[in-house]
Amino acid sequence: MKKIIFFLLPLFLFNSCGKIDLFPATSLDIINEIKNYKGEKVVLLNIWALWCVPCVEEFPMIVELGRKNKDLEVIFVSADFEDEFEQVKKFLIREGVEPYSFIKKQKDEAFIEGINPSWTGSLPFVVVFSKNSGSIVDSWEGKEPESRFEVAINIALNS
Amino acid sequence: MHSIIKISIFLSFLFGMELEIGSSMPKRKLVLNDVDGRSISLSDIKGKEGTLVIFSCNTCPWVLRWEDRYLDIAKRYIPNGVSMIAVNSNVARFQGDDSMEEMKKHAKKMNYNFIYAQDTDAELASAFGATKTPHVYLFDKSDKLVYRGSIDDNARDAKKVEEPFLENALDALLANKIIKKTTSKALGCSIKFN
Repeated sequence: MKKIIFFLLPLFLFNSCGKIDLFPATSLDIINEIKNYKGEKVVLLNIWALWCVPCVEEFPMIVELGRKNKDLEVIFVSADFEDEFEQVKKFLIREGVEPYSFIKKQKDEAFIEGINPSWTGSLPFVVVFSKNSGSIVDSWEGKEPESRFEVAINIALNS
Repeated sequence: MHSIIKISIFLSFLFGMELEIGSSMPKRKLVLNDVDGRSISLSDIKGKEGTLVIFSCNTCPWVLRWEDRYLDIAKRYIPNGVSMIAVNSNVARFQGDDSMEEMKKHAKKMNYNFIYAQDTDAELASAFGATKTPHVYLFDKSDKLVYRGSIDDNARDAKKVEEPFLENALDALLANKIIKKTTSKALGCSIKFN
C-alpha cells in the first residue's frame, strides 16, 4: 500500500497543482470582476500575451507581488487568440496563477475602449485600482520596473 | 529611485499623447536611414496625394499577421500618389532583431514594395506619439493627419476583415470625401524605446 501511495502521490500533486479555469471574457466582464473587490482589495489589472516578450518577462514579478500582498488582487487577462487557449493555460499553470484567469473574447477596438479609453492598444497594459473607491490610481503601457508597481499599489492601498 | 519613477511616469504620459487628427506632420525633416542605404526624410518622400507612415518592426507577431496587407496597400495606393513608409523605432533592439541588417533581410524576404527605414533615436515615434507596432498614420497632401490607428479589424485573417479602416480612409482621401472613421484601435507590440 505504501508503495502505491509513493508512486501515486507525485501524480496527485502534479494534477492538483496543474489546474486553472480560463474564462473567455469581454471588457465588461473584466470591469465587473474588478468591481467585486471594491472596498476589499487593491486591484492590479495586467493585460498580456504569450507573443509579447516584455509581458512574459515581467509576468513572474507581478505574480510575486500578488503573492506577497494580501491586500492586492492581481487580475491577468490574456490578449492571445482564443485558439491559443491551451498554451495560455499551460503558461499560467507554469507561472503559478490560480484558481482562474481570463482570455479576451472580443474584437480589439471594443475591448481596448471598454477596458480604458486612454489605452492605445500597446502591450503589456497595467491599470491599478484603489482599494476603497475602486477608482483608477495609475495605468501604463509597456514594461516597467517593480518600483513603479509598488508606488502605485501603495497609493491605491490608501485611497 | 523616485526620480526614475517620475521620469517613467512622465515618459508614459508623453508617449500616451498620440498625434491629434488635423495635426501637421511633425519631424518631417528628420533623417531616417532606409534598407536601400538612403538617408531620407518624410519631407523627401511626400506623396502627391498623401503620405502613409506605419510604425513597424521585424518580429512583432501582430506585424507579421498584418504584413500581407502592407503589400496590398502599397500595390494599390502608391501608384495613386500616396507614398508609404514603414518605420522601425525599436531602438532597444537595433543591436539585435531590429538591426539594419535584419531589416534588410526582412524586407527582402517579405518582398516589401515600400520604403522601410530606421528611426535611429525613436524621435519620429516620440513626436507622433506612436506606442506600438503596427501603428498607422495617414497624412493628406497638405501633411495634415487624417487617419490614425490600425489597418483593419482582423489581424489574423485578411479574408475575415469586416472593417478595412485604413483602406476606407485612403479611398475617401483619394476621392476627396470625408473620412468617416478617423481613428481606430487594435492591439500591438509596444515600441521598444530604450
